[in-house]
Amino acid sequence: MKTPAAALLALTALLPSAALACPGLEIAGGWIRLAPEGAGMTAGYAVLTNTGAKPLEVQGARAAGFSGAELHRSWVENGMHRMSSGALALAPGASAALEPGGWHLMLFGPPALKAGDRRTVTFECGATSASGLFEIRAP
Amino acid sequence: MKISPLAAGAFAGFLALLAGVGTALLFQTPAGTPELQGGTALPQPRPLREFSMTDHTGAAFGPERLQGRWSLVFAGFTSCPDVCPTTLALLQQLRTALAQTGPAPEIVFLSVDPERDTPERLRSYVAHFGEGITGLTGSAEQLEALATQLALAYVKVPTAGGDYTMDHSAALVLIDPQARIAAYFQAPFKADTLASDLRRLLTPA
Repeated sequence: MKTPAAALLALTALLPSAALACPGLEIAGGWIRLAPEGAGMTAGYAVLTNTGAKPLEVQGARAAGFSGAELHRSWVENGMHRMSSGALALAPGASAALEPGGWHLMLFGPPALKAGDRRTVTFECGATSASGLFEIRAP
Repeated sequence: MKISPLAAGAFAGFLALLAGVGTALLFQTPAGTPELQGGTALPQPRPLREFSMTDHTGAAFGPERLQGRWSLVFAGFTSCPDVCPTTLALLQQLRTALAQTGPAPEIVFLSVDPERDTPERLRSYVAHFGEGITGLTGSAEQLEALATQLALAYVKVPTAGGDYTMDHSAALVLIDPQARIAAYFQAPFKADTLASDLRRLLTPA
């Protein structure tokens, strides 16, 4: 399966960027929590809506200036806070809130930032992606 | 998922205490035990035994540091980007709101990740959320001794790339000015509910 995947990546790299959008993914109200000094990670939040006609699966993300980004979910189970990474499925017309205590963007290696700064976050749905501007907020 | 014996022990203690609290509530609800909206007040406050931790300034922290003030203990870790900052920010709002009308508890952030959370690391972490938060860390054994007493559980969970995260109790523990466990609050926390419960508990009748 390595060759077809590589071929697909090579192909998508040649396509104009407009064709790369996660089809119909709308990103609203994006913000990133200002990380404590020296912290290795922080979290980002937004409301994601699938305005398209086909199901979407948001599988990954990247954020400008951060060393990495993943989709994570926090939840409470048997009185315990738990967290794991995952992919977020959005049916046509469905919305999902990335919000404190639930689905969120796990952002690794935060750059030096201050409240009010903005950073571009890109969500990946397989070979396509969609970007939004996220505001840094404290704390 | 690997569960360390220490964490399993803490979790067993947590379950035992929950069962104890449940039983106490079912069979004896003495007059005068406040009914809370977002938690459970212990009919009989439970004194803490000796324990020994280190705070975010590097100073020793034992039961005597809990004497003479109300404290709200939250278990977490600094490599926790979502729930811990969210909770600490909420607890600070709560403190500010309570302080306007009466007593407000100190916040104690108990690290369940002694491998990574040094006092130095805790210092910049708690400072980020403002005054009035004490970060606590210690050896794995010291942590287990305190967490078991508080019935706070934690489990180390490996993640991709050789890293790990910590599952941890979603409860807040209220300690009274005699260093006794007075109440538990369960997540999800609501600022209004917590404020109203704490006003009832902290304000002398």
